[in-house]
Amino acid sequence: MYYLIVFLPLLGAIIAGLAGTSLGTALRASFASPGGDTGHHHDAGHAHAAHDDHGHDHHHGPMWPAYLTTSLLFVSAILSWFAFVGVLHGAETVKVPVLSWIHSGTLSADWSFRIDTLTATMLVVVNTVSALVHLYSIGYMSHDEHQPRFFAYLSLFTFAMLMLVTSDNLVQMFFGWEGVGLASYLLIGFWYKKPTASAAAIKAFVVNRVGDFGFALGIFACFAVFGTVEFDALFAAAPSAVGKTIHFLGGDFDTLTVICLLLFMGAMGKSAQFLLHTWLPDAMEGPTPVSALIHAATMVTAGVFLVARLSPLYELAPNAQTFIVVIGAITAFFAATVGLVQNDIKRIIAYSTCSQLGYMFVAMGLGAYGIGMFHLFTHAFFKALLFLGSGSVIHAMSGEQDIRKMGALRPYMNVTWIMMLIGTLALTGFPFTAGYFSKDAILEAAFMGEGNPAHLFAFSLLLIGAFFTSFYSWRLMFMTFHGTSRADQHALEHAHESPQVMLVPLYVLAIGALVAGIVFAPFFIGHHEGEFWGSALFRAAGNEIVHAIHDAPKLVVWAPTIAMALGFGLSWLLYIKWPDIPARIAAQHEPLYKFLLNKWYVDELYDFLFVRPAMRLGHFLWKSGDGKVIDGLGPDGVSARVVDITNRVVALQSGYVYHYAFAMLIGVAALITWFMFGGAH
Amino acid sequence: MPELLKDYLPIVIFMGVCAAIGIALMASSFILAVRKPDPEKLSAYECGFAAFDDARMKFDVRFYLVSILFIIFDLEVAFLFPWAISLKEVGLLGFWSMMTFLGVLTIGFIYEWRKGALEWD
Amino acid sequence: MTEFLTSTGAVAAFPEITLALSALALLMAGVFLKRTAYDLVNGLAILALAGVAVMVFLADTRATAFNGAFLADEFARVMKLLALLGAAVALILSTSYMKAHKLNHFEYPVLVLLATTGMMLMISANDLVSVYLGLELQSLALYVIAAFDRDNAKSSEAGLKYFVLGALSSGMLLYGASMIYGFTGTTSFPGIAAALANGEASLGLIFGLVFLIAGFAFKVSAVPFHMWTPDVYEGAPTPVTAFFAAAPKIAAMALFTRAMVAPFPSMTAEWQQIIVFISIASMALGSFAAIGQTNIKRLLAYSSIGNVGFALVGLAAGGEEGVKGVVLYMAIYLLTTLGSFACVLAMRNASGQQLEDVKDLAGLARSNKLLAFVFAMLMFSLAGIPPLAGFFAKYFVFMAAVKSGLWALAVIGVVTSVVGAFYYLRIVKVIYFDEPAAPFIPAAPEVKWVIALSGVFTLGFVLFPGPLLALAQAAARSLF
Repeated sequence: MYYLIVFLPLLGAIIAGLAGTSLGTALRASFASPGGDTGHHHDAGHAHAAHDDHGHDHHHGPMWPAYLTTSLLFVSAILSWFAFVGVLHGAETVKVPVLSWIHSGTLSADWSFRIDTLTATMLVVVNTVSALVHLYSIGYMSHDEHQPRFFAYLSLFTFAMLMLVTSDNLVQMFFGWEGVGLASYLLIGFWYKKPTASAAAIKAFVVNRVGDFGFALGIFACFAVFGTVEFDALFAAAPSAVGKTIHFLGGDFDTLTVICLLLFMGAMGKSAQFLLHTWLPDAMEGPTPVSALIHAATMVTAGVFLVARLSPLYELAPNAQTFIVVIGAITAFFAATVGLVQNDIKRIIAYSTCSQLGYMFVAMGLGAYGIGMFHLFTHAFFKALLFLGSGSVIHAMSGEQDIRKMGALRPYMNVTWIMMLIGTLALTGFPFTAGYFSKDAILEAAFMGEGNPAHLFAFSLLLIGAFFTSFYSWRLMFMTFHGTSRADQHALEHAHESPQVMLVPLYVLAIGALVAGIVFAPFFIGHHEGEFWGSALFRAAGNEIVHAIHDAPKLVVWAPTIAMALGFGLSWLLYIKWPDIPARIAAQHEPLYKFLLNKWYVDELYDFLFVRPAMRLGHFLWKSGDGKVIDGLGPDGVSARVVDITNRVVALQSGYVYHYAFAMLIGVAALITWFMFGGAH
Repeated sequence: MPELLKDYLPIVIFMGVCAAIGIALMASSFILAVRKPDPEKLSAYECGFAAFDDARMKFDVRFYLVSILFIIFDLEVAFLFPWAISLKEVGLLGFWSMMTFLGVLTIGFIYEWRKGALEWD
Repeated sequence: MTEFLTSTGAVAAFPEITLALSALALLMAGVFLKRTAYDLVNGLAILALAGVAVMVFLADTRATAFNGAFLADEFARVMKLLALLGAAVALILSTSYMKAHKLNHFEYPVLVLLATTGMMLMISANDLVSVYLGLELQSLALYVIAAFDRDNAKSSEAGLKYFVLGALSSGMLLYGASMIYGFTGTTSFPGIAAALANGEASLGLIFGLVFLIAGFAFKVSAVPFHMWTPDVYEGAPTPVTAFFAAAPKIAAMALFTRAMVAPFPSMTAEWQQIIVFISIASMALGSFAAIGQTNIKRLLAYSSIGNVGFALVGLAAGGEEGVKGVVLYMAIYLLTTLGSFACVLAMRNASGQQLEDVKDLAGLARSNKLLAFVFAMLMFSLAGIPPLAGFFAKYFVFMAAVKSGLWALAVIGVVTSVVGAFYYLRIVKVIYFDEPAAPFIPAAPEVKWVIALSGVFTLGFVLFPGPLLALAQAAARSLF
């Protein structure tokens, strides 16, 4: 079963990637057998091909790769749910060997699946969202000519993500980690003819490399200290390293803290935490289903998963945990503030994602791994729902993404409005929706974290963040669906409800967003929590934070809900009641507004600190280093000298016999002189 | 100095005498002769006439041809004299060697004859 | 008469005598037949060369004649076979060309036979006198055929330059020989070796050696005695150039090798220095100067200068290994060069004119795939790219140099062969990648055959290197 779950997406990716391209088309054309073996999809492909031959401008690839990959993904998703239900009431850690992979010296990393509750949770999240996104994309990408490529990438991403979550050692995890990075790069730059998309893809790749560098160093450090990269061996050896130091960057530091921080660096990159977050908003250049799948539900949570997976290490490194809390809280607050003033519908949700990831990390840092995973789980549903909903809006508005050019769209797309509403409610933590359970639990945990000032700091930031979340979410809703229309008349004429193929995934996700919290809360954070997680998560003795949250003061319990209500109210006032006030506020506090609008100038800072010096250095090395020195002394210089010598030698050949005779005599004279004065004889 | 080179001592002496005589003759005319140059004396002398033409004019290639052909037989004679004198000592081998040489030269002679190299027109 | 033959030991020189007599007979036949003479004389000359080759092949080895002035050993046999092959192929290649250019005089094959006789004498020479005799017999014939197209100014110029400079070099050689005679009292190679065996070599003897080597270097066209080569190669009619580049080089190199190894084993240190110098100079100049050439014959002239430099690497290395390298190098060089010149002969435009410019080859690959392929293979082989024959040629001489500790020489050789590869590859580039020039008319059948066989050899040597290696080994062994 696990083989199927993991390898079906790969199979789909390979088939769609190879057979869906022109190569496959050419192959099939050469076999041109009517009523082919792939059923009516095959015929559909033929029909479209025939279409193209007649020169219609609606050019797109064959449809069958889309259907094929989607079907395979649905099989995977259903199997994942079976696996998940299997672990609901306690599960042993299952290991499924696949291949013998790397054996070099003492390094050994085999390719095998490690299936426990954590993995099962991720399998469900990844495969469900991926299957729904595949389905959604059939509608969303119906006008794109490179459809097979898109689906191949999507399936490839899913496979890489599954590799990541099922890994049994750090090397395999790194493989999946890089695999999703690659797929993310390919998908962000899917519309590679668009310069901004290409730039965003490169940015995502490069920023992730920074994090991955840390991750790789962390793996090396693990191997150097423990001599293994297998999780079991690592976890068994970890306690012995407590209190020891490691020589790193010229100083001696606590071993586990260093390792954990290095690994967390990878998580920061992948999960877009503060300082390494800059790529995520830009990644919205990719197609919206990609944003939903990769940049909301799955890949960006890889960092959270990493921390949860390595909980036995992090539990032993309290300094690293505190660092995670601080970073998570800052991210949550920072992203929420930026989200307040953004105008691009997808960017708002992207910052929201960034912010919510901060919440998850706070939970991880607190040691409340179950709560963090629970938020990851619920967040996947409502954030994917929001993205797909916004995709539906964008699709309807012919690609318009600026909410200032929307408004009063509700009549055109009632279903989408309802779906977005559910997503917003869940995100803001409206009572009894999914977000209510998970997010509030994080806040409570932060409050109950014993005595660490960082925890209180985190709590206050998260509370403000919750207020902001509510505000910008409702702002988005109001500006998009309510108020007065500011839309381009031309776009409005085409505004329409999305087809069923796009709406069905929304329904499924909406159900998840509504009930995932109430149904699974007992397992993830409630009374069945212990048996549910089993050995998948590790908590140091005395880490009772998950139970402590039940004793939180009433005010703390209600605080997020109050913040949410306040956010809603303010938003309603500013965008429905007095829609002219926001502009005046922005004008009055222009520096602040600009500061937020420009995302705290982090991009500009990086541009100044890294990008431009790097470009200058690159330019210098290119022009002076490579061009002048290497080419000049190397190929160009040598060939120029050769030509010089050639010209001189050719000039010797004057054609005069006396020159020739003279050369001969000079030769003889030189040889004799040599023997008379210098020769060895 | 090996024995061998002593054999060549008379030749060196001979060359020295030659050089001495030649230089002495030229030097004596240089030293003893009376010189009173005038334009007539310095002009080119051609059988009492004024010179018709530049002395460095082209000759017909046939002059060269004849002289080259002559040289071959000149050399042949130069070989034949010592051979004839020492025929008794060189014996049969010497005899046949010269016959081969003459045969080769004869073939060359037949060739140039047939080619018409000996005819002036 | 029989007594004459036996008393001189002339039996050992029977092939040479046969060849000389054939030349004389053909001269007579030609001069009496007049009109139809060329075809007959040419055919008979090729037959004579083939017959003499058979005689050489079957002859006893290690026989001397004329009081030891003439030595027929295994080395001589191999080199003579190569020289005869070169001469015969050159004659075959010339057939159509000579007719097309109204140069079909019967004297040409006769002169080639006489030159070949001289070469054979050079190869077997075991005495300074027979060295000079062979050298002059060969050279006089070559001077004439260089100027064979006598109405063509370039050809006449080539002949004259060759003659004047050749006379100068002969003078040097003779001067060197006389000094050596003066210091050793003998002209025979074994005699010189014996005279030098005890005692330090005097400076005068070294003078003689330098002059002797200068004369040889001129004949193999090694730098700085190479200056005649490009002009003569360009000016002489193409089949004559093919002949120049092939057979006389073999003979001169054989003579050079024997004249160093046999009489001067005790002066190895001295002559090795000279040969290292001219070898490096030849390799470098051959490689660099060829880059600047646009005329393919001139380019091949520099190529042959460079190749002689590489062959001299083997001689500089000395010993059996080195001589083996030289023999092998010259054998492969001979076949590759003949093929290259056959390709040049195939360069004829629609009006039957012979083309000589590198850019006339442009786009040959599109009009004549096979010719283009063989030409490219020959160029790759000359550049020394494995697995073609030329690679092995270079490999063995460099290995010999390395084994005798001449690291620097081997390294310089490799570097210059890289530079040299440039112009060979440029021809390949012109053939395959340039915009096509006017296509050539089909080559004469005999030219096609030579091209095909040369191509087969170049490509196939790697599969059957055994026989040639064994021959080279045996030849080298007989010198020591």
